[in-house]
Amino acid sequence: MTFRMDRRQFLMGTSALMVTGVAGISPAWAQAANMRLIFWGGQSRADRTYGVTDLFEAATGNKIEGEFLAWNDYWPKLATQTAGGNAPDIIQMDYRYIVEYAKRNAIAPLDEFVGGALKLDGFDEDQLEGGKVDGKLYGISLGANSVATLVNTVAFEEAGVEPPTNDWTLDDIMTKGEAFSKANIRNGMKMMSDGSYTEPMLDNWLRQKGLALYTAEGKLGFGADEMTEWFNLWKTFRDAGVIVAPDAQALDTGPLETTMLVSGKSALMPSNSNQLVGFQALVPDKLDMVGYPRLAAGVGGGHYRKPSMFFSVAGSSAAKEKAAEFLSFFISDPESAKILGVERGIPCLPETRDIVAPTLDEANQIALNFVANLGDLLGPLPPPPPAAAGEIDLSLLRVIGQEVAFGARTPEDAGPYFVAEATAILERAS
Amino acid sequence: MTLQHVATSAPAEAEKPSVWRRIWQQDAPGYLFLLPWFIGFFGLTLGPMISSLYLSFTHFDLLTAPRWAGVDNYVRMFTNDPKFAASMRVTMFFVVFSVPLKLAFALGVALLLNRGMKGLTLYRSLFYLPSLLGASVAIAILWRQIFAADGLVNKFLSLFGIIGPSWISNPNYSLWTLIVLSIWQFGSPMIIFLAGLRQIPQDMYEAASLDGASKWRQFWKITLPLLTPVVFFNAIIQTIEAFKSFTPAFIISGGTGNPINSTLFYTLYLYQEAFGFFRMGYASALAWVLLALVAIFTAFSFLTSKYWVHYDD
Repeated sequence: MTFRMDRRQFLMGTSALMVTGVAGISPAWAQAANMRLIFWGGQSRADRTYGVTDLFEAATGNKIEGEFLAWNDYWPKLATQTAGGNAPDIIQMDYRYIVEYAKRNAIAPLDEFVGGALKLDGFDEDQLEGGKVDGKLYGISLGANSVATLVNTVAFEEAGVEPPTNDWTLDDIMTKGEAFSKANIRNGMKMMSDGSYTEPMLDNWLRQKGLALYTAEGKLGFGADEMTEWFNLWKTFRDAGVIVAPDAQALDTGPLETTMLVSGKSALMPSNSNQLVGFQALVPDKLDMVGYPRLAAGVGGGHYRKPSMFFSVAGSSAAKEKAAEFLSFFISDPESAKILGVERGIPCLPETRDIVAPTLDEANQIALNFVANLGDLLGPLPPPPPAAAGEIDLSLLRVIGQEVAFGARTPEDAGPYFVAEATAILERAS
Repeated sequence: MTLQHVATSAPAEAEKPSVWRRIWQQDAPGYLFLLPWFIGFFGLTLGPMISSLYLSFTHFDLLTAPRWAGVDNYVRMFTNDPKFAASMRVTMFFVVFSVPLKLAFALGVALLLNRGMKGLTLYRSLFYLPSLLGASVAIAILWRQIFAADGLVNKFLSLFGIIGPSWISNPNYSLWTLIVLSIWQFGSPMIIFLAGLRQIPQDMYEAASLDGASKWRQFWKITLPLLTPVVFFNAIIQTIEAFKSFTPAFIISGGTGNPINSTLFYTLYLYQEAFGFFRMGYASALAWVLLALVAIFTAFSFLTSKYWVHYDD
């Protein structure tokens, strides 16, 4: 045997290597903090965000390592990291999940830093409220937004149809849509995408009827009749050929690139005001923005200014104060404001708004004006949806909506079925 | 001499430490080299499996500690979960159609390549390529493009005046696009079939030819029976693979299993329950049911194999 290396030496050598390896994972930085940041979004949001983390590092010496994912991939990753005790320090949070994360102490209350590391003087009151759970502040709103219909203005021009305004109604989908289809532009482009299984559209329609998607108690805020009426409404549009056909609509699986607006299959699409910037980067034609259609002329109250997203600090973070300092920097630093624009919504600090307004490009300007001038479209902020809302959207609304769209289920059947199944999911979750 | 040696050596109790020392001195390096595998097996395979078995009897949402639930998860699965049934149907359909078709295709190509043609290595590599690209994200995205309404397939069909549907987003065809994708990745069973064909003695064919047996008859009477061990092996491996199939459906449907749950593979449903709705307990139960199902299938294959697999060299 020529295995000459002494085993003891070998063992000592390898264990020494392993020890240094372990030590290397947690370097003991004394002053400057090394923080991690996670957010959902696309490349244009990431570029802006990293612009600000660079500024923050230059100003304070604290390093922030960022990571971004698409919405669908974001929540599994965040939940897994949180469960593994490895949550990033700074977490982009949504209105839909903030209660769940706060109640489980996965994110930390920030009240102790307010006035110190976190300066919120003049912060919009309703946006501050939106980040509170049980009276404690868990999320700092990064901007206000609203649902909006995105408009491909060039396509309307080509079709010779007058594009909708904030006063457009459901009837206009039919009348304008027929004219649009008749023009037969761009290989059969339709005026509008199929919104029958787009949750915010259903929500908006219900609110205009004085109802709600969910009540404050987390119950369903409407009945089978409304659901049948909703599916029938879209069936009428579908049968008339004014909206995108079901097999084309089913290609939309979430990412912006798969949407009807970007793939050029429709000229109108329900979305959010802050997303105009992201969409405009992918669509060569000039985009504009109007509200969701009204039930009838003069009916409003379906829209609301919601915190588009928050930054929260992980409950497990070892650098909560530094993280709070970054949040403060993110929402108030003048240079950061110019980089961020209104891509995450309209800034909530008046000073920041004033800095941002004159620097905005056209797309950002449109978003700012839209949210500032909602007028009678605006209604009150609804309570946060129940935890099972995401499952009802994904497992029920989209599936049943597609069944109706493909003709596998009638609206009369789908209405009661949806309500029964949704009620069962809500009960099981509570 | 050996006996004598044992007899004259030190008493048994004195010998013990030297046995241990021998094990330590001779075998320890071996175990040391195996250590990475042991760590991987116990830490990354067996450990998580056992904990998932435990979790399958709990309600666990990742953020709070698991709560004991007894057999609740299993009861719900079999009595009150239409999506479980739907996903099981989709997966079964996929297994039943994709595995035999893929094997038939792989065998067909292997037979063609086995005729001693020139450039065999090149063709073999080319046909194997799709299997290497395998269940990758890029291929799934490519598939979306090929089978979209304005994709390659419909462009081709339009040459004959046929207007094809949007294959991947039409619930009647979407699962079939995934089956075609699976068949296209016939490379690894093909390689194994090729190796199997090489082992069939040539003189059998010569004898059969002399007796006037047609090629067709030779295939059914010589090739296929002698190839059954390889068919058996391939069938088991491919069946397990098909049950586990996840990536293509995930990418093509954006993780939703749509349109209308037509591509909701069992594994995709498991993923949704675990990482979409944070029901880790239920997802663990789903995983164990899948494991049991695959085990039953495999055991059944082994039990029936003695009736159709011939091991006579």
